[in-house]
Amino acid sequence: MPWKDGYTISDERGLADAVLHWPGDAACCFGITVELGPACGPGGITARDLDTPENYYGLHGGLDALRETLAGHGMRATFAVPGVIAELYPEIVRALHAEGHEIAADGWRREDISLHERAEERDLIRRTVAALHAATGEAPAGWYCLPRAGDKYAVGAISPDTVPLLLAEGFTYLGNSPADDVPHYWVADPAGPVAILAMPYYYAFDDQFHLLFPARGTGLEHADALERNWRAEFSAQYRRGRAFTMNLHPHAIAWPNRLRKLDDFLTHATALPGLWNATAGECARYWLETYPAAETLRIEPSIWQYHEDSLN
Amino acid sequence: MTTSRPSPHAQNAVGKSTDHTSETDDLTAMREVVRTQAERHQVVTAPRWPGGARIAVNFTADFDAMLLRRLLDEPPMQRAKGEFGGRVGIWRLLELFDGHGIKTTLFVPGRISQLYPDAVRAWARSGHEIADHMWEHRVPADPQVERTHLLRSTEALEQLSGRRPIGTRSWHSPELLAELGYRYNSHDAADHRPYFTTHDGFRLVNLPFHYAFDDAQFFSFAWLDTDNAAQRIADPERVLELWWDAFRQQYRHGGYLNLCLHPFLSGRAMRIAMLDRLISRMKQLPGVWFTGCEDVTQHCLGLEEEH
Repeated sequence: MPWKDGYTISDERGLADAVLHWPGDAACCFGITVELGPACGPGGITARDLDTPENYYGLHGGLDALRETLAGHGMRATFAVPGVIAELYPEIVRALHAEGHEIAADGWRREDISLHERAEERDLIRRTVAALHAATGEAPAGWYCLPRAGDKYAVGAISPDTVPLLLAEGFTYLGNSPADDVPHYWVADPAGPVAILAMPYYYAFDDQFHLLFPARGTGLEHADALERNWRAEFSAQYRRGRAFTMNLHPHAIAWPNRLRKLDDFLTHATALPGLWNATAGECARYWLETYPAAETLRIEPSIWQYHEDSLN
Repeated sequence: MTTSRPSPHAQNAVGKSTDHTSETDDLTAMREVVRTQAERHQVVTAPRWPGGARIAVNFTADFDAMLLRRLLDEPPMQRAKGEFGGRVGIWRLLELFDGHGIKTTLFVPGRISQLYPDAVRAWARSGHEIADHMWEHRVPADPQVERTHLLRSTEALEQLSGRRPIGTRSWHSPELLAELGYRYNSHDAADHRPYFTTHDGFRLVNLPFHYAFDDAQFFSFAWLDTDNAAQRIADPERVLELWWDAFRQQYRHGGYLNLCLHPFLSGRAMRIAMLDRLISRMKQLPGVWFTGCEDVTQHCLGLEEEH
């Protein structure tokens, strides 16, 4: 189906509210993704990025405060960890893992993977897996390619090779895709189909685009809008019986007044019955079992014609 | 083959022209602009909405999905962001409007109608108007190709909806629009009320589209190629109050409101919930005419005949 190239990555219609069910008849799947490590440019984390007060805060006082808040609500998160962070702070990554949080990959140094050739990309994936494995004793199930605050687009970047490489390297899921608000299949080759499960991501629920955005100094503070986005989306998704996923950065969200907003929100959310707080891996495994691609991925044949005068 | 006529909304260029002419020539040219503008526009100042309604409200949705992202050659994740509109958002908007029993207009690029035919058929079946949004969200520079595009888009939409569209949201030439039977365009805002523009031997109804009532300006990151410092990061609550205020103001003065939604933005659950509240508030007032752009156009054409 050559026309799908460059247009769609999944089937034409997402799963409706009515067909969605969560374990134990839960009303809503609640996911928290935490990116570990400092802000960086498209080339990824450098020594200079590490040598910042924000980085110190994000791996020490800020991280501790966030962990305490999550623990206070009995919630577990998925920590998206770049390979270099696992190399540099193995004891922190190990401790997070031991606390029950999931450790997933977030690039080798959170670089823009689309800037690399296939062989380089495969090498970066393997190095990252090795670093995370060394810290936790487990290979990561998920691979994130989340946006950096300075990126042109707040969606993350992927190369044409990423999904085939992730499948070849045994990954269960791709951590972020904006094409749906529940897990969905990212189709690399519709003929197979060859597809990986993608987890929902949306910038409106990501703290880094609201807190001193785009950068400290001149960045603007929209902690109020962030909290209202979380609350509005969560309450709408809860009513629909779907999923809510938020993205946090300890160096940003842990600052006390912001952390209080998170704390209040989590108090509100956990007070409702039927909340399923799942790590991305748990949600992905449930989804693959309950909504396997063979049964739910419905790629329709194209009726598109080739036109000389069109994009095609 | 794919050179395009730039959108007149490439606002970043306004005021930045480096063209220079002599002062006298420039003033002459300015006088000519002022004169032709005055001749071209006629505002519907007394709309006299049907049934004594105090306001006409056109909820409109631009079903670009990932097409504009593709056209601008944006990366895969950006296109996936647009794809949300086709997989999810378009269906939620339909459910929202049908739940409230209100008629709306869906502006659809011809290409997208072929990618998501079920959605377009479902909107048409519910009685919503299906209108043009350019074959692939651009207007070719070559007039022959432009004609081919608009004709193809028109026929694609007619095939799915069973009705030939009479409206567009585009910058197609008025002459071509008239030739292919189009009666209105909803793409500019020379007034906050509907207005006629006179062209060579025919008139077009214009239903004002304004960026303050476009969800993209509030919700779409990097909209119209804006840099990061220009992002609005608005939450639904803020937009609800802005739009409610605009509605109230028009309601008081017997006016018109045209809201532009994109399924990939407004189709997000929190924004559907916001629109649900907005419509519910509007419905509490008497004399609100919720309808599609086509109905407003026919009404304005009827007023013209009375004159």
